[in-house]
Amino acid sequence: MTFLRVIRKRLLFLLLVVFGVSLVTFVISHLIPGDPARLIAGPHASSAVVAHIRHQLGLDLPLWQQYARYVEELAHGNLGVSIRTGRPVAQDIAAFFPATLELVVTALLFAVLIGVPLGVASAVWRDRPIDHVARVLAVTGISAPAFWLGLVLIAVFYGHLGWFPGGGRISALMVPPRTITGFYLVDSLLEGNAAAFWSSLRHIALPAFTLGFVNVGIIARQIRSAMLDQLGEDYVRTARAGGLSRRRVILGHALPNALIPSVTVLGLAFGDLLYGAVLTETIFAWPGMGNYVVASIQALDFPAVMGFTLVVSFAYVLVNLAVDLAYLALDPRITEVG
Amino acid sequence: MTRRKWVRVLAVGLAVLSLAGVRAFAATPANVLVIGKAADPQTLDPDVTMDNNDWTVTYPAYQRLVRYETIGGKGSTQVVGQLARSWKVSKNKLTWTFELKSGERFADGSPVDASAVKFSFDRLLKLGKGPAEPFHNLASVMVIGPHTVRFRLKQPFAPFLYTLANDGAAIINPKVMVHQVNGDMAQGWLAEHTAGSGAYQLRSWQKGQSLIMTPNAHYAGPKPHFAEVVVKIVPDASARRLQLERGDLDIAENLPADQLNAIKKAGTPGVSVREYPSLKVTYLYLNNKRPPLDKVAVRRAIIDAVDARAIIAGILNGEGKPMGAPIPDGMWGYDPSLKPATRDVAKARVLLKEAGASDLKLRFDYSDADPNWATIALAVQANLADAGIAVKLENFANATYRDRLGKGDFDIAIGNWSPDFADPYMFMNYWFDSANGGLAGNRSFYANPEVDQLVRKAAVAATHAERLRLYRKAQRIAVQDAAYVYLFQKNSQIAMRKDVKGFVFNPMLEQIYNIAEMSKSH
Repeated sequence: MTFLRVIRKRLLFLLLVVFGVSLVTFVISHLIPGDPARLIAGPHASSAVVAHIRHQLGLDLPLWQQYARYVEELAHGNLGVSIRTGRPVAQDIAAFFPATLELVVTALLFAVLIGVPLGVASAVWRDRPIDHVARVLAVTGISAPAFWLGLVLIAVFYGHLGWFPGGGRISALMVPPRTITGFYLVDSLLEGNAAAFWSSLRHIALPAFTLGFVNVGIIARQIRSAMLDQLGEDYVRTARAGGLSRRRVILGHALPNALIPSVTVLGLAFGDLLYGAVLTETIFAWPGMGNYVVASIQALDFPAVMGFTLVVSFAYVLVNLAVDLAYLALDPRITEVG
Repeated sequence: MTRRKWVRVLAVGLAVLSLAGVRAFAATPANVLVIGKAADPQTLDPDVTMDNNDWTVTYPAYQRLVRYETIGGKGSTQVVGQLARSWKVSKNKLTWTFELKSGERFADGSPVDASAVKFSFDRLLKLGKGPAEPFHNLASVMVIGPHTVRFRLKQPFAPFLYTLANDGAAIINPKVMVHQVNGDMAQGWLAEHTAGSGAYQLRSWQKGQSLIMTPNAHYAGPKPHFAEVVVKIVPDASARRLQLERGDLDIAENLPADQLNAIKKAGTPGVSVREYPSLKVTYLYLNNKRPPLDKVAVRRAIIDAVDARAIIAGILNGEGKPMGAPIPDGMWGYDPSLKPATRDVAKARVLLKEAGASDLKLRFDYSDADPNWATIALAVQANLADAGIAVKLENFANATYRDRLGKGDFDIAIGNWSPDFADPYMFMNYWFDSANGGLAGNRSFYANPEVDQLVRKAAVAATHAERLRLYRKAQRIAVQDAAYVYLFQKNSQIAMRKDVKGFVFNPMLEQIYNIAEMSKSH
């Protein structure tokens, strides 16, 4: 069974990745000069108070012992306690990660829904106006920095027109839906709470657009070139000659084949988006991992930074696994993936 | 679909969106106050947090034995009783006995009594985190009667009463101990809940999003005006400003100078920038331990060469006051006769020549912790160049920067300081006692045995007059010794909607709002 073998291999690989990532982040974060105990003790603390806090946090142990402790906890599924917030890191991540994931997934969905048709159209009508429009969009998307685009969108659609809210995940005066999946859009629907859904939708629109915009162009260009390759293939010509309609040839035959290489682009885009979300979240006051991890880095909150890195690398490996499985499903000729 | 049809669909869609928008963007209701903050609070445990950003929530949620007095509508550094009705101090200044008011209740209805006070201070000392620092002198707390509690000090400590107005001196409901996990004294629970007797309590906290506070039904004071106080987290400064201007926020915290100036210039209707003199000072550390800065004349020359007034005018847009001595205006002990230095490059050159220190090359270290520091560093570099001192600027990550400060690995460095409690002790003993060298407070590593004597005596002296005399004398010597460059005390600027009424600024309580007394008029 190819699927099972791929999954088994990948899960083993995942363990290695987690171990490697934990070791590297641990070493790097402890090489940064500075003392988290000092930061939380306040600017006027005496060395006695700082030493007491260091001891409480176990920061006075040798580095290898601290790492051994960390790995032992990790093996029990425990990500440790945040130095900054005093809460379990897992609990903090559970609060912030769904928001980031919802934003990233929505942005990706948006990029696919616009990017794929645009790419198909610009391949089919090559060098026609639609192709030029797509090219301009792609260049703009890649060159417009997210923070700039975000600020412009806020200034226009919130500041001037007042069509969209200025930030946040849901109206501050509204009770968020009960956590089922952690996605407000999904949870409010499951709850049958139309007002919460509408508020969440309006809140996610601008940040998801900002985040997804870069990828609209990338996906459109990728689909375009893959489509052009397919359209030049013999089977397309044969199908056309056989009397199939143009639409059926393009959408029924060429597009599915063009999608296969695009899956890789999507997987890569997902990683980019996770990283790009940090800036977008700040501008749109989106309560996700981005703000959390930046604040944690500033406070030298090692457990939080490491927990974040582990969860993101986990997500990244899982997405890659999904990409490979999609390959297998899309093209039966492929029997082995790397 | 034809092209015309598309246009029609688009137009209808936009119309629907804009209609929906108009409805949702009314200003905040009159009985709700919305405060826009740059960062989420970290922990709400008053015995753990050392961050004003957290105190926005904890300070109004808890009461303390004493509070800062409002005199003539203005916040002061004097204290009056809050939970305490009266207090007595023993002749040897070692025991303080407090009588509590009756009728004060925690949010769950249980009474605030002497054992709650004892519990709170025992917990504070046991945890031993940052907020315990001012109480290092506290030996024990005893319950004398249901409403009588006694504090015993190890040594006399004159500022003791003032430390009781601190956030860390909050009186916590002893019932929180039911939430204790693994002997953590309920730290996990108190990190995200409140259990005090203040006018408001935390109702909910959507992490990274908003905190909602509602009135404490058992609060003994007058009924507060707001049914809800919402603390909204808006990390981006320009977004915060925009939300204030559109009426989605009533107060926008931490706006940088350029945004505040834009608000003032634009004159957005309904928004005002309020300015208050603060006790937050910005100064330069001169490494007294390291040659050539170990010579008074060299340090003096640097002070003479720096143009603090130009820095205030050019970098702070005039929102600051020059300083001549460590104790800022507004704190008792301030000495108006110690005038800020006037720039005198010629004198600086003479001093350097006399000290045999021409062609000096010095390093100026700073970090990005304060956005003004980089610009100030550039100004100082230019100022000192005029006096023939070449300055190399070095920018570090803040954690690294603080690490180097602690080790004394710098020539010149920059810092901000604001007092934890309203007593000149916070400046004089921290900055000048040679025992506090490094991050503990004496960042210049200044050492003068006479000043050590004076400030140590002042910390325990019996009378206010005696303390004043000792601090004034120590202050004069330290200024003569040119221990630091005193740049300015900064104005605190807060952008608010004009209909927010009753806010009293206290220089000891930055980022803290007297929400129990505030209201909104339309």
